[in-house]
Parts: sequence; structure tokens; C-alpha cells
Amino acid sequence: MNLGDWQKAFAAALAKGETPTAVDVRGMAVHVNNYRSQLVACLRDTYAKTVLWLGDDAFDAHAARYVERHPPSSWTLDAYGEAFVTWLEDAYPADIEVGELAWLDWHLRQAFSGPDAEAMPVRDLAADDWDRVEIEFVPTLRFRTTQSNAVAIWRALADALPPPPVAIVEGGVGARVWRHGLSPQFASMTSDEATCLDLALAGASFGEICTFLMSFHPEDQVARIAGGCLGAWTAEGMVRSLRR
Amino acid sequence: MSHPSPIPLSGFGLGLRVPHYAEFIETQQPVDFVEAISENFMVEGGRPLDVLTRVRERYPVALHGVSMNIGSADGVDAGYLRRLRGLADRIEPIWVSDHLSWTGIDGFNSHDLLPLPYTRQALDIVASNVHAAQDVLGRPLLLENPSTYLHFADGMGEAAFIGELCARTGCYLLLDVNNVYVSATNHGLDPDDWLRWLPLDRVRQIHLAGHSQGRDMLVDTHDAPVPDPVWALYARFVERLGDVAVMIERDDHIPPLRELLDELVRARAITTDVRRAA
Repeated sequence: MNLGDWQKAFAAALAKGETPTAVDVRGMAVHVNNYRSQLVACLRDTYAKTVLWLGDDAFDAHAARYVERHPPSSWTLDAYGEAFVTWLEDAYPADIEVGELAWLDWHLRQAFSGPDAEAMPVRDLAADDWDRVEIEFVPTLRFRTTQSNAVAIWRALADALPPPPVAIVEGGVGARVWRHGLSPQFASMTSDEATCLDLALAGASFGEICTFLMSFHPEDQVARIAGGCLGAWTAEGMVRSLRR
Repeated sequence: MSHPSPIPLSGFGLGLRVPHYAEFIETQQPVDFVEAISENFMVEGGRPLDVLTRVRERYPVALHGVSMNIGSADGVDAGYLRRLRGLADRIEPIWVSDHLSWTGIDGFNSHDLLPLPYTRQALDIVASNVHAAQDVLGRPLLLENPSTYLHFADGMGEAAFIGELCARTGCYLLLDVNNVYVSATNHGLDPDDWLRWLPLDRVRQIHLAGHSQGRDMLVDTHDAPVPDPVWALYARFVERLGDVAVMIERDDHIPPLRELLDELVRARAITTDVRRAA
């Protein structure tokens, strides 16, 4: 057998925990253990707060099944486990906070070593024609709508405090993750802020954001809501620049 | 294409591990070099690159990879090599190393160091991959002898394979003394014999590490102090080596930095004693 064919057969057996033909089962057991234990350890490291929330046994059981179904393809372990968020969402449809905690774990880890970007200082938050201003964010920014208080639970777990009981927010809220300098950050959002951020990331101008907000807020409150969001995003290091 | 040889470094170093980042950055530690796991720093930005840049300001740095996949019949991933080259350009390491093994094929990456049958066909493939990697990196590679758990009936033996690979490609050897001990023991062979036939003139770096006893064989776990048989093997061969960079390698159950520095003191003492007696 040529080397390529032998390596393909070996790799297929390794991923299934089997022993290829003419290979010593004792030596193969070392490689199977190395393969599986490293991937489970990788998931435990990436999803550290989700481990705390679910407990070791439940998490490890899901991780082991995930490893069986998701052989890695990238050269970097940093890329392994992206689909584990969806895996847990599917596994815990009635426990919405589980998938949302996992989403925070995953994106905070990605932000940790994501692209560098200088955040715009608050003093540069000025424009002659706000209607036309578009907002460029730091490249590590990610957000999602959420339905639970996962942000508060994650924060408590990080601080080794008793986590609050799960609370479901009717109508949904949001969570955002980004990196300011070298430090990954996260925050919860009101539904108004989530709407503003969704529009801004889609390329809407500040004026277009305000116009959209007018469909469910009085006109005299719209600039305050949108301006409050932009001010907070800038102060927290989320904004890279304003396109004027 | 030939590349400039790495300048030999005679000294003693440690691996750069997360619990010790601050100590390496904030205080000058008594090491002559630091070895960083390449893939931990082949990232787009953030704290990892900041840490390594600051470490580099204080110490010579060797880049040691685990994912080059130099033994794959698929060849070496060009994107991986370009990213490693970018890191090397930024850090200006004393050298770049990886393992004589393969990690994946056909879109699968095991993240384990998998064994190669030391056949002529494998030698041709690995030599081609080493040439390709060295051309992208613009420098010769150091390749580490692996710990092995499988015996292949066909083939020429590890020492002959490495010797011919070095001759054909101009690559160098990162000699892991623990891996020699683990492999030889697992295959029922004499570690001294195993080591004796390796091309010791190509060695630029030494790894000293610990292992553990698995159910059926020794396993290269790097989770314990260097055991006495590995120290003894090192002591029997160090006088036959030229200028080499010697380091203690620990990847799990990482102790306080002080304990690793104490092990490094032992490595210095053994080296000094052996060379003085020679």
C-alpha cells in the first residue's frame, strides 16, 4: 500500500476509534486516546463556563459524542468546536441559556486572538452631518439576540459567584462580544440597542437607524436612544472609526 | 534551494507556557533561550502575539510546531507555512522546528503526532515536504524524533531515515532524549543503540522531558519531571554533541517556574561535569 492510502486508512480508523489492519492494537490505543482526550480537553478549555454550568459529566458526555461526529480539519485547535454551540442548542432546546452561554464562550475565545484594531477615542465622536455617518466597528465584534440572562450567568461563573436563576426575557434582548485592546469584553443589550447594532453592522447610517427607530418610538426620543448607544459603544472600545 | 544554517546556540532554556508568561516578561529569568509553541502564536492578534513580542525583547526564541504535518502524503499546507513564515519574520527565531510525523490527510487533522513507516517512499515524500517547507520559511528546519508506539515491519529504522533526510534536505535534528527512551523501551530495544546511530552532528537542540507508564507501554506525556533514566541517557551522550540548546519540556501538570529552573540547573550541572571529565 502506498503511503497516502495507508495514511487515509489510518486516519479513518483513528477517528472511529478502531485499529487498522496490521497495526498493533496496543499502540493504536495510545493514539486513539491522545486524539480523543485532546479534543475533549480543547472543548473544555474553550467552553469553560459552559462546563461549570452543565457540570463535568454532562459536558464530557456531549463533548465525547461531538468528537465522534466532528473530526477536526484545521491545523489549529482554535478552530475546533465552532459547531458545538449549535450542538448544545439542539441538545437543550428547553434550556435556552445553555446555547447562549456556549455562544459567549466561543466568541470570547475568538475575540481573544482575533485581529487587532485601534478603537476610536471618545473625543473623535463628532460629525457635521450625523444623518450620513456610518459606523465601523472593531473586527472582533459579534452580537446575537438572546432570550435568557446568560450574560449575567456567565459573569457570575467567571467571578466564582453563585449564578442567578435562569430568567427568560419576553421579546428577547441581546449580547455583544468584542475585544478592547488586549481584553475580550461582553455585555448584554436592550432590544433597542440590539436593533441599532444590527442596523449599524448592516451598513445603515446614523440617520437611517434613527428613522427606523421612529417606527416604534416617539421622534423626540430617537436621537437620544441612538446617540446613547453610539456613545456607549465608543466609550467601550467597540468603534473603530466613523465614516463621515 | 539551500538556506543558511542556523547559528548553533550553546545554552539552556525552557518552554514558554501560559502560567509563566508574566514571570518571563516582568523579570529576566536565568535561561539562554525560550521555546514557544508556534501554533499558539500563529493568530491574528491579541494577547498571544503581544506576549511573545515582549518575551522576544528579553530572550532568543525558538519556534516549535506541532501541526506542520511534514510526513503527510498530501504535502504541507501552504497557508499554514505562510502564516508560520509571517510569525518567523516578526519574531526572528533562532530556528523553527517541528516533528518527524504526520498529523492528518485528506482534510482530516488529528492533532496527534502520528507515526511514519520509515520506508523509501515515505523518505521521498518527507524530503519533498521538507524542501517545500524550507523554501517558504527561508531557513532549514529542525525536525524532532518522535515517541513511537507502533512497529512497522518494513523500513530502514529511524536513525537511518533521519540521517538520509538530513543529508538530502539540509535539515537539522531536534533530539528529544525522552522520545528516544520511550520509543526504544516500547519496541524492546536499547536506548543507547537507538541514540548512537542518530546523526548527532546535525543536532542543534535537545528536549528533556518526562513520560508516564501507560497500560501497555510508555507514553510521552510531558507531565512529570525528567526521570532518572532519561537524565542518565543524556549524560552518556552529551559529550558527543557539539553546541546545543538544551531545554526542559513540560506541557501538562505545569509546576511553578522555580521547579523547572531547578531541573535546568541539573541539566547544566550534568553537561558541565561530563564535558569537564572528557
